[in-house]
Amino acid sequence: MLRIITRYLRLYKAFLFQSLKEDMTYRSNFLTLVVMDIGLVSISVILFKVIYGHVNTIAGWTFHQSIILIGTVGIVREMAYLTFRRGFLELGNHIRTGTFDIFMVRPIASNLHLAMRHLSLSESLGEGITGIVLVVYGILHLNNWSWISFPLYILLLFNSLMVYYGFSLIINSIVFWVVRSQELNTIIYFFMETSRYPADIYRGIGKVIFTFIIPIGIIATVPASALTGRLGWDFAILSLIIGISFLGIGLFVWKMSIEHYSSASG
Amino acid sequence: MPISIHTKNLRKTYDYFKKEAGLTGSIKSLFWREKLYNEALKGISLEIEEGELVGFLGPNGAGKTTTLKILSGILYPSGGEASVLGHIPWKREPAYQKQFSIVMGQKNQLWWDLPAQESFTLNREIYEIEDKTYNYNLEELTELFDIKDLIDIPVRKLSMGQRMKCELAAALLHSPKVLFLDEPTIGLDIISQDKIINYIEEYNRLKKTTVLLTSHYMRDVERLCKRVIVINHGAIIYDGSVENLMTTYADHKIIRLRFSSEFTVNGLEKYGEVLERDRLSAVLKTSKSDIARTTSRILNDIPVEDLSVEDVDIEDVIKKIFTG
Repeated sequence: MLRIITRYLRLYKAFLFQSLKEDMTYRSNFLTLVVMDIGLVSISVILFKVIYGHVNTIAGWTFHQSIILIGTVGIVREMAYLTFRRGFLELGNHIRTGTFDIFMVRPIASNLHLAMRHLSLSESLGEGITGIVLVVYGILHLNNWSWISFPLYILLLFNSLMVYYGFSLIINSIVFWVVRSQELNTIIYFFMETSRYPADIYRGIGKVIFTFIIPIGIIATVPASALTGRLGWDFAILSLIIGISFLGIGLFVWKMSIEHYSSASG
Repeated sequence: MPISIHTKNLRKTYDYFKKEAGLTGSIKSLFWREKLYNEALKGISLEIEEGELVGFLGPNGAGKTTTLKILSGILYPSGGEASVLGHIPWKREPAYQKQFSIVMGQKNQLWWDLPAQESFTLNREIYEIEDKTYNYNLEELTELFDIKDLIDIPVRKLSMGQRMKCELAAALLHSPKVLFLDEPTIGLDIISQDKIINYIEEYNRLKKTTVLLTSHYMRDVERLCKRVIVINHGAIIYDGSVENLMTTYADHKIIRLRFSSEFTVNGLEKYGEVLERDRLSAVLKTSKSDIARTTSRILNDIPVEDLSVEDVDIEDVIKKIFTG
């Protein structure tokens, strides 16, 4: 087990360097993307500022707690781009043109190879940076913040990444049957967009759906709740269980689906 | 010699949906689709010994690539057995994946925007190649394929022939015991084509790597392989020596003529079967054995501006095998 982990860490490093070299060949693109991301995040902050001009809390969340939430979404998205996100965006092309073949013949797990082949630092770097800035800014304005919540926050961030990855695996596995992935990734994009709002706004059946079926609630709300002292242990543990289950189901569905790959010729 | 590749009654059926042409057809297919089946392989049985260099020949859609893809674990077969180096390919065990390589003429495996050297170092990590072996193999392959000056240039700037040489080198760095080559010379000019063929031949001779190569160029296979397997409509129709195949089936050559002035006299029939004919050009099919004599007679008798001799198309050879 340890051997496998060190092997994949080495591979990750090698692929990341490779991607960085590739990114640098298109430097102007790099800068545009960063500026665009910062712009997009600013829009959500302004939106929240306007809303909070009229109310003190949304579903119990204060303005600064919401800022941490938005920042957390940015951090999770950056983490996703640094691991698996762009691989899934390219998956449809790989399958349609048959270049997915390469992922089937290398002595690496196909899902991890796909992820590492398309690592991207630049694509949401702006969001990552502004995310960290917003979280730090939010923390500085909290009055009940304690250092203890920080390790839990980090742990839950990785849990969110697992949920996000598991969900993406499940949705993208459909591509082996329908061949085009554009629409599928729009679903995932929509799902991530919605994660900007506190999951506490959902009630009743909505809460069940957005926790267990489409786990939007887990992605940003749970880590942000932990950091702002709003999360109970019971829900933290439940989130971890959901995270592991989603990853497990995702990997299983993926394994079943690649058997259906019918490599295009030419 | 031990057996390296073995298949028995290997079958593959693709299913797909029938779609009528046009927008109405597309809309209709949203609601109602007819499932169709295409039997790509109808029971392929073959045995290839260690170190053999075998040519897999057949027209497009014959099932060559499908066979190669099943043997490399890309596709799951619909039935039958296969084992390569004692492994079942579609289990995709890393222990097997580290021992073979597949190079596809139409699918680029190198990083497009980076020099080939960068893809090589990445392959070292992927295949966990020891430093000593890696350095030795890199040295040897760059020497053998003559790519020392090419591996520091971004792949997108290389010509197709240069790129194929780098693709081959990248695929061989981990010293695979089995090498699958799918149309490695496709789209290359004749000189690059020859070079690639030479390199493959040389490598096989040096390393005793088992090579299974598909091509629809007769000349590749003729030069490279002692043994050839001809496949059409998903079934093996010939398995044996190249000499036997050529003398039995491809006993003709094609002569293309362009006349220096309008040439209307009849009588081309005495040089061979006339396939095409107009006032300024003609295409003849003539016996392979006295091709030299026929061409010199043509040059003597007729005002010819240009004359070229070509092999019979592989499709024709296969057609001939079928018709008898």
